[in-house]
Amino acid sequence: MIHRKAISAAITAALIMAAASMAHAVNEEQIQAVVGARILTAAGFEIDNGVILIKEGKIAAVGAVGDISVPAGARIVAGAGFVVTPGLIDSHSHLGLGPSGGVTEDNETSDPITPQLRIIDSIHPEGVGPDQHQFRNALAEGVTTVAARPGSSNVIGGQSAVLKLRGGTVDDMILRFPSDMKMALGRKGYYASKGVMPTTKMGAVFLARKALVEAEEYGKALDRRKNAGAGDSKDAPARDLKKEALLKVIKREIPVHIHVSSADDIMTAVRLSDEFGFLRLSLGHAVEAYKVAGELARRGVIVVVGPQMITYDDQGRLVNLAGYLKEKGVQVDIMTDADVVQQAFLRCQAAVAVKYGMLPQDALRSITINPARTLGLEDRIGSIEPGKDADLAFFDGDPFDPASQVVMVFIDGRAVYEAEKEPK
Amino acid sequence: MKQMGAGLILLIMMTVAAAAGNVEETFAVCGGRVVPIAGPEIENGVILVENGKIKAVGAASEISIPPGIPIIDAAGGWILPGLVDSFASAGQAGGDEISDPVTAGLRILDDLNPFDKRFEQTARAGITTLMIGPGRINVIGARTAVIKPRGLTAEDMVLLEPASIKISLGEGPKAAFGEKGRLPGTRMGSAYVVRKALLEAAEYSQKRRQAEAEKAAATRKKDAKPAAAPARNLDLEPLADLLEGKLPAFIECHRVDDIQTALRLVDEFGFRAVLLGAEEGWKIAGQIAGRNIPVVVGSMGTGPKREETKNVKLGNAAELVKAGVKVAIGAEDALGIGAREELVLSAALAVKAGLDRPTALRAVTLTAAEILGVASRVGSIEPGKDADLVIFTGDPLHYQTRVARVLIEGRPIPVPEQLRKPRP
Repeated sequence: MIHRKAISAAITAALIMAAASMAHAVNEEQIQAVVGARILTAAGFEIDNGVILIKEGKIAAVGAVGDISVPAGARIVAGAGFVVTPGLIDSHSHLGLGPSGGVTEDNETSDPITPQLRIIDSIHPEGVGPDQHQFRNALAEGVTTVAARPGSSNVIGGQSAVLKLRGGTVDDMILRFPSDMKMALGRKGYYASKGVMPTTKMGAVFLARKALVEAEEYGKALDRRKNAGAGDSKDAPARDLKKEALLKVIKREIPVHIHVSSADDIMTAVRLSDEFGFLRLSLGHAVEAYKVAGELARRGVIVVVGPQMITYDDQGRLVNLAGYLKEKGVQVDIMTDADVVQQAFLRCQAAVAVKYGMLPQDALRSITINPARTLGLEDRIGSIEPGKDADLAFFDGDPFDPASQVVMVFIDGRAVYEAEKEPK
Repeated sequence: MKQMGAGLILLIMMTVAAAAGNVEETFAVCGGRVVPIAGPEIENGVILVENGKIKAVGAASEISIPPGIPIIDAAGGWILPGLVDSFASAGQAGGDEISDPVTAGLRILDDLNPFDKRFEQTARAGITTLMIGPGRINVIGARTAVIKPRGLTAEDMVLLEPASIKISLGEGPKAAFGEKGRLPGTRMGSAYVVRKALLEAAEYSQKRRQAEAEKAAATRKKDAKPAAAPARNLDLEPLADLLEGKLPAFIECHRVDDIQTALRLVDEFGFRAVLLGAEEGWKIAGQIAGRNIPVVVGSMGTGPKREETKNVKLGNAAELVKAGVKVAIGAEDALGIGAREELVLSAALAVKAGLDRPTALRAVTLTAAEILGVASRVGSIEPGKDADLVIFTGDPLHYQTRVARVLIEGRPIPVPEQLRKPRP
């Protein structure tokens, strides 16, 4: 199933590239060279006057002007005066699913356990609701990849997807699906109001454990059947879409992302991860993560900070959520939770963390390479390094300064946004 | 218990400060770049403060500092008047009074909790004056108050009360009352509710003025019998004040048709008005400018978009100003970059979209104070005004700049250190 999907995706991608190379002046085979830009690689170093070589949509080389020889015939992209970063990655998004606070397509509230649902079946590829150009607006501010996830009304909300904002259908945009299982703890409002479990936090965790244990048993039954050999198909358990989806979590094929807020729910999420051996655990929002930062750092739990960027502790001290967690050794991503904050303002979200003391290079990692790791795509996106997708954002100044403009955005080596060609 | 202890200590600190009464003290703020708003910026400026008021401001070479007085060293910093947030809901325990679309008799003063932590947090962010008003449910809501975020009682906080009548057009009242089958369920219903109330108030006002005039005449003629004053009507009194020019109306309106309804009401009844929100104001900037109606730009579009705010753009403030409209920029009270604490970031975003810097800084200080009716006390650094001062670490419109110190009427706002170290 997955295999077939991957093949069809590859064919689609090949067709798109073929179509593009015919329509576009730039031949996909042709080497492009971004020359003279200041390059923030997000790979641990910066280059003041650098070159990025792009071949077949991938970064072929990166280095200082002089160190990298630009092949004859390469298409030159003048980079002088620009700051180039990896395409920005929003680690948590609800775009294309309806307006925040309105009727949305990301919460199937008929059942608190819906692992079988797939976010790609709800997403409008341009955006929906009041702003029907959401994805385009995000792209125009340098965002090239987003983690699209179900909402948080359900304990297990469904399967997330990683999308590249290259346009077309949702299938065209998929970089990975399913990318993780979305869960939510500590939010019992919707079902509590109906007197249906979960009306307590422990009720929510019970439902999650029950579903995971059932998936585990389902997996065992499938294995028994497999070991018995292909004979009588009567013993095969009937396909169960819920259990099938959760079995991917049990088998550590996909990681888990959990919406949490308070410190107790955060540690409950960790407890759940420990019990079932999650491949990787990332926590969304996690406003009180600072209270248990040491624990999270020790266990390698990722925190996706936002849309709230600061809070105040019990003594009234301001807590810079992203900066503090980073200092404590936690991997920190920064998100917009679009459209709670409009996705176009992802870099401004990171700028707030910088304002309160996070190092700019760390803040940049929180919207590039760190989310790539969270999503298991660090070999494809998130930094300017050879072999990676040529997803690049060109700024006319400091990327965190709201006054800086995005002049150009590349996805897979193609200019998908050029400010000067936009209608004024 | 621990939390309570911290709260008590803070309470004691605040009590001591409040009990001290007038600060019988003269001190000087020296060494920083003073941005008085009312005049040109002063490099290496000096501000003399006496008894909580600004006594003098000027260049270090012009102002003689009385020997022996305490000095606040602001070297390297930028000193601005305390920021003015033109519309906030901090301090309110509950939401709106949803029992009736017209609640002009209510006072926000009676729903103001001085111990709301948000006051402390906004003060620390350099916001030293706020207009507090009701939400967007009532067509005519509670009367607002302009307050300073300090003090033990609502009365301590008040700078101006009542400050304005709050009117709300568009989706707010429609959704709240229409869903219950009550008036107003439409936009025309809301306009009718306002007109009906104002026509009743006009009659009331006429009787009140007649009774006052006859009473004044009667004091001159001993045997004359003046007409009885109309029975007091708590709902009509403030609306009569509005019609008599004693109070302005702050009209929340977002979509262009709602803005035009507001203008139509102003044309019919001739009261003083301020538009609140006006996300589509840029479409009819000339019509607003032609009537000399100021605007508090409510949203920069960083947060969730509702159907009626979908056409918001960063350039709204710049376009309104260009057309000649007096513009204040209000905090968004959303999350992340839209947080109330990031009010100056809203001003910076307006600058990104074409507003000039001095006008942007004025829009969060003096212009806002003028619109709120408190410019004789706050909004600029001028002799005779309250010594509400914010010392920024640098250019307030730069994203990395933080608030270093805040003074309200000469008294420092205690700012606990930011949390950096792990909790014990």
